[in-house]
Amino acid sequence: MTRNKTDIKFNILLIVLFITLVFSLLSGISLGAVRISLKDTYSTIQSNLFHINAASLSKSTMAIVWNIRIPRVIMGLIVGAGLALCGTVMQTTVNNPISEPYILGISAGATFGATFFIILGLKSMTGIGAFFGSVISTAIVMFIASIGKNITTTSLILSGAVVNALFSAFSNFIISIGANSDSMMTIKFWTMGSLASATWADILLPLFVVLISLIFFMTQYRTMNTMLMGDEVAITLGINLQKYRLVYMLFISMITGVLVAKCGIIGFVGLITPHISRILIGTDHKKIIPLSALLGSLFVLWADILARCLIDKAELPIGIFTSLVGGPFFIYIVIKNQKGGQR
Amino acid sequence: MDLTCKNISYSIKDKQILKNVSLNVSGNKFFTILGPNGCGKTTLLKTIYRVLKPTSGEILLNNKNIENIRLKDSAKEMAVVAQFNEINFDCNVEDIVMLGRSPHISFLQSEKQNDFDIVEDALRDVGMLDKANRSYSSLSGGEKQRVALARAIAQKPSLLLLDEPTNHLDIKYKLEILHIIRELNINVLAVLHDIQLACKFSDCLFLMKGGEIKYEGIPRQTVTESSMKDVYGVNCKISWTDDNQAMIEYI
Repeated sequence: MTRNKTDIKFNILLIVLFITLVFSLLSGISLGAVRISLKDTYSTIQSNLFHINAASLSKSTMAIVWNIRIPRVIMGLIVGAGLALCGTVMQTTVNNPISEPYILGISAGATFGATFFIILGLKSMTGIGAFFGSVISTAIVMFIASIGKNITTTSLILSGAVVNALFSAFSNFIISIGANSDSMMTIKFWTMGSLASATWADILLPLFVVLISLIFFMTQYRTMNTMLMGDEVAITLGINLQKYRLVYMLFISMITGVLVAKCGIIGFVGLITPHISRILIGTDHKKIIPLSALLGSLFVLWADILARCLIDKAELPIGIFTSLVGGPFFIYIVIKNQKGGQR
Repeated sequence: MDLTCKNISYSIKDKQILKNVSLNVSGNKFFTILGPNGCGKTTLLKTIYRVLKPTSGEILLNNKNIENIRLKDSAKEMAVVAQFNEINFDCNVEDIVMLGRSPHISFLQSEKQNDFDIVEDALRDVGMLDKANRSYSSLSGGEKQRVALARAIAQKPSLLLLDEPTNHLDIKYKLEILHIIRELNINVLAVLHDIQLACKFSDCLFLMKGGEIKYEGIPRQTVTESSMKDVYGVNCKISWTDDNQAMIEYI
């Protein structure tokens, strides 16, 4: 049958994207307020990993590369893959093409959880707060959206907007009464996202969570393919979706929580990447999960490079760029869906 | 394969939709449920394919209570083609049919050559092999129905449950699909609307009214002027051809 043809296409895509990703990582390290040549980048990595003395490099260059740029691009890679994974899994779990943590207000819920924990003085536990926040907001969105018996695109967007507005208001309130000098700065961080503060220590938890989730969902591809057929068909194929939905949503909440706690809200990554993957390779989750993750990493890496290179001596929030691309794409998906005549 | 329903009832709040329905499906025959709208045909099928749980009574699959059988194991025995076949994401035809193999493939195992062969055969059975790589949304209603049937065939079931599989199809496709199903030579339990087609293809009929099976047996003995009057409330004249085709003239 035809499996070989699509497999070859998929493998080529993977290889091309992987090479692009390596190239993007290197670009991400060398581009910025201070330009650093690839050679210097390479020497720095070599000297830090293998303790080979790179005498020709200045201390500051080494510090920029090793302590700032590298953690930042790795964080971009993880965040992109994680958000793309969330979007892919969520669209399938809810069986609706517009689902994504940002649009459904789950990121806002995570922000609320994180800021709430900060105000309680539990700064080291913001990740846990964000997790609870996203679980609660997920539950609320799903509850409101499913009031009219089945979940439709309209009910999802509406309940997402409501939850988004509510939780944003809560967290902005908390940040405002928190009233220290840079509280306005913090609002910007939470609502538009930033990778600027990423350090080596910050990377560990997101890396762990995203990697585990990625592996977990790679094993779930057949169940997720079945989800696309709807609940009844899934039961006749021997799978009770309710159980899986709950587990998947918990995973999504966990990823969203951890990522938002570290980088604030970066919107639309999870919306766009699964759609592009499906256009490229079809709906088989065995393929679109790794593909979306790669595309998500690329998207976030380049959005971040733009965020720090576009204006001299100023750093823009990364969310501006993901939203500039994501907003129009969102409109396109909604229109396409309406035209399809269903829902 | 043997499917037995023992006194199943199903009710939502106070409204009783199924009342003590008992039936047996076995012997690789074609069984058809007939009855007016809202008599509980679809509900009966849904309790059998485990989307709804009967309020009382039990369903036995190969003499084992179906509630004690893992969902995945019952999916190896019975496949379903239901009425509603729309999906929100545009899948490839072949991928959809491959899902029929999922009860047979265990966790972490990938599709084998055998599975691809079965999918190919199923697509050939329903005459959709040349459209294996088409996207589902680009298909006509009849083709979508055939894809759903191919997925059920790929499940290699010993019992096929059909809920108005030929709804919305013109007569050519109706006949085609029913012929395909007949030739599978497995147990079939179908809900059909068309009485004449049901008589032509079925070995045994169940006539339902108000959540109960009122008449059952071979078509010639079940579809009679008096049973039609009782179940559907219509007056008609019925004559039978030599090859068991019913000619129904409504008055």
